[in-house]
Amino acid sequence: MQQWYPDFFDRFGTLTVFDLLEDYLASGRIKVDKTAHPQRALYHDPCNYGRKSRELFGRGYFDQPRRVMDQCLAEWTDSQPSRGNQYCCGGGGGTLLTPFKAPRIHYGRRKIDQIKQARAELVVVPCHSCHGQIKALLAAYEVKGVEVKYLWEVVADALIVES
Amino acid sequence: MATNPPVNEDPVKTAAPRRPGNQAPEMCLACGTCAAGCPLTGQDGFDPRKIVRLVLLEREQELIASDLPWLCTLCGKCEYACPMGINIVNIVRTLRGRVARDKVPGMIHKGVALCRQTGNNLGLPAEDFEFIITDVAEELAAEEEFADFKIAFDKPEANLLHTLHNKLVNTQNEDLVHWWKIFHVAGEDFTIPRENWEGVNWGLFSGDDEAMQLSVGRIVTHMEQLEIQNLMYPE
Repeated sequence: MQQWYPDFFDRFGTLTVFDLLEDYLASGRIKVDKTAHPQRALYHDPCNYGRKSRELFGRGYFDQPRRVMDQCLAEWTDSQPSRGNQYCCGGGGGTLLTPFKAPRIHYGRRKIDQIKQARAELVVVPCHSCHGQIKALLAAYEVKGVEVKYLWEVVADALIVES
Repeated sequence: MATNPPVNEDPVKTAAPRRPGNQAPEMCLACGTCAAGCPLTGQDGFDPRKIVRLVLLEREQELIASDLPWLCTLCGKCEYACPMGINIVNIVRTLRGRVARDKVPGMIHKGVALCRQTGNNLGLPAEDFEFIITDVAEELAAEEEFADFKIAFDKPEANLLHTLHNKLVNTQNEDLVHWWKIFHVAGEDFTIPRENWEGVNWGLFSGDDEAMQLSVGRIVTHMEQLEIQNLMYPE
């Protein structure tokens, strides 16, 4: 967008998923109840929202999702390592669309180690590729009792809805 | 279908876009920090340090003919750790772009080609898309808390343009509703394009800049024609 349509930003607003979630929460347009998620959760930084966004756009989305997590989950933890040094899940770069499944599952062994180390019952990701890959990893490594949710799914499930 | 991207005759070491620090790949110290941090090092001969070295030696054809560029997840952990700021991710992506399109593995280029023709990576006709989206929206509206929920397609002057990840439209319909629930409660004035709704730009993965530009341009066209105020970056 910056490269091909540089004037786009003068004509239109742009909002990331994190901007939207944070705006809705901060302005009171939505309210959430963190008791909706009593499980011990782990946040996974997607490469593209974290270190690659920082590289390409000068801003890594590390803190915003964590502030959203604080409001929607009773107990959550960071992986070790996390943020810029985080391990990719193994599903990035279109690898989920290729036939090379064995290397992709091997790639993700570090992510499984992190999930086990954190004793996580719920892994929260704001990325479709990470979501699909981490579910595939949990199945391949036969890790039971761990759920995977999108960050916006966590928000939706914690919504206080007045009917 | 297998239209090849324009051939750039420059060696990959000069053709691959640099990182913001503008460090040339020749600055590589061959220290191996990249390889040590990469979870894929050793798998099927993958090694980011060796990839940089082969590109510097202009032995890129060996890499282009191999599966190695497609095993990399472009995650950037190698670059993040690199003390010299070498553009390893763009080297790999540039290698991918040099692969003949009918040799691009799996669904990546097929999706790019379908998107070019149909406006989405699945090749789904607009009426089928509208049917799926409306059906899932009606299911949500059957819940008491979301009783008056509706999807507005191509709504002029909406506040927010919402594109979709093709997997939600394809096999993961149940995950369409999370954002819709949030929008409903927040009272968000959003719209979904009936055509060219694809939110995932597989040209990024296939190394195809022209395809990427086409998809971005379609989003810009929606914004202009419908006079929408804000773009929600695709999930």
